[in-house]
Amino acid sequence: MTSAVKIKNLHKSFGSLKVLRGIDLDVAQGEVVCILGASGSGKSTLLRCINQLSIPDEGTVYINGDPIGNLLSETGELKKANQTTLASQRSRIGYVFQQFNLWPHRTVLGNVIEALKIVKKMNNADAEKIAIDRITEVGLLDWKDEYPDTLSGGQQQRVAIARMLAMEPEVMLFDEPTSALDPERVGEVIEVMKELAEKGHTMIIATHELNFGRDTADRAIFIDEGVIVEQASAQEFFSHPKSERLQSFLKRMSM
Amino acid sequence: MEFEFRFDIVWNNLPLLLEGVQTTILLSLLTMVLGTIIGLFVAIVRLRVRKIFALPLVVYVEVFRGTPGLIQIVWIYYCLPILTGLQLDALTSLVIAMALNVGSYLSEVFRAGIQGVSKGHIEAAAAVGFKPGQIIRRVIVPQAAYRMIPAIGNVFVSAIKLSSLCSVLGMAELMYQGQIIIANFFRPIEVFTVVAVIYLIMAYTTSLFMMYLEWKFAWIRRKKVPFWQKFKQISKTSFQIKPQGNL
Repeated sequence: MTSAVKIKNLHKSFGSLKVLRGIDLDVAQGEVVCILGASGSGKSTLLRCINQLSIPDEGTVYINGDPIGNLLSETGELKKANQTTLASQRSRIGYVFQQFNLWPHRTVLGNVIEALKIVKKMNNADAEKIAIDRITEVGLLDWKDEYPDTLSGGQQQRVAIARMLAMEPEVMLFDEPTSALDPERVGEVIEVMKELAEKGHTMIIATHELNFGRDTADRAIFIDEGVIVEQASAQEFFSHPKSERLQSFLKRMSM
Repeated sequence: MEFEFRFDIVWNNLPLLLEGVQTTILLSLLTMVLGTIIGLFVAIVRLRVRKIFALPLVVYVEVFRGTPGLIQIVWIYYCLPILTGLQLDALTSLVIAMALNVGSYLSEVFRAGIQGVSKGHIEAAAAVGFKPGQIIRRVIVPQAAYRMIPAIGNVFVSAIKLSSLCSVLGMAELMYQGQIIIANFFRPIEVFTVVAVIYLIMAYTTSLFMMYLEWKFAWIRRKKVPFWQKFKQISKTSFQIKPQGNL
């Protein structure tokens, strides 16, 4: 079976700063992978490279066998995809941002409907039906006609998750989804993500929430200075970290 | 000796002034339309091409923002035909000159408005699979347009007043007609007062129209209130749009 996500030798630099220095990663169908690492270690860049918000300098990302940002020619060579192809490839990858990034000029419902109408070309009624279901799923049906700036951070992030879910992505990427939240709002977002994990979605989550990683993830990955330093099953990863760097990182994080 | 106001002279010559008003409105509207086109073009090109290729546009904007409108108008009216051999009628060359002036200001308004749209909102649209054109239409334009309306209003109001400079070149607009009446009756205070009031009415009508647009395009509309009520709100709180969220 092809991996849901396959990352091959990913490199990315910003100027002279090498952020990713050869990442290889396979994520199986339905697997929940948690990425840990200090700020600036390359977690976000890795996620951004998966759906090509940052274009990698080198290396390829495959989602269910399809090279993202590229087209496979008949001779088996990779060709850079055009914007239209890239857009349709991106619609298969869900992305949740640290800063929620809801569109302020649309209501909660409007935010969730938007992509269904524009990208999936659904009619209003069908799109609204799906959107209402997803908004209910994250527990915000009562807020569906509100504008994002009247919601709390936690609520906004749940709307962002609903917006992503509505597109039925094959893979879900979470870029530090709880880092911008007030501490008392973290729980409600974690709760929604746990439910998603239980439903068998393929998820890659960059996070600083160690407990969430331990309880929910199948596998945990530690990134430092742009390379994967250590990876193991979540159980093993948190209870018996092998490398010194991970040990000191976990120690610092749990202080 | 006491000064006696003679507004009757102005009233008697009102038809003359109103003729001028028509020309002023024509000049202003043409300037606004052409200026908007120029401004949009300059803003978009400056945002899209490399800095080095945008340099001529930067020079254009700085020159037209940094020199007196009067000189621009006179220069284009007299020098353009000499330099290019192009024979333009007065209205055309005046509108071109004013549109270039207005366009230079508007291009900065547009540029700031477009750049002001959060990168995150754009990325969120890209991440769900919007194509570049869809991102522009569905995310950038609605947000930028709404935020730019007050600034555009400023430039439009200035454009109306800018048109008064055309009197220097004999264009029979409101200021010119006023000066004709003054030359005939030697009553500058009364005439200028009435001319100023007429300019104020035109400027305020423009402001009201921009407020209407702002109301029309407001994306934060919790309750749908009629425009006149919204107008009361806008004038009370100026442009404070940050709502009371429980963040």
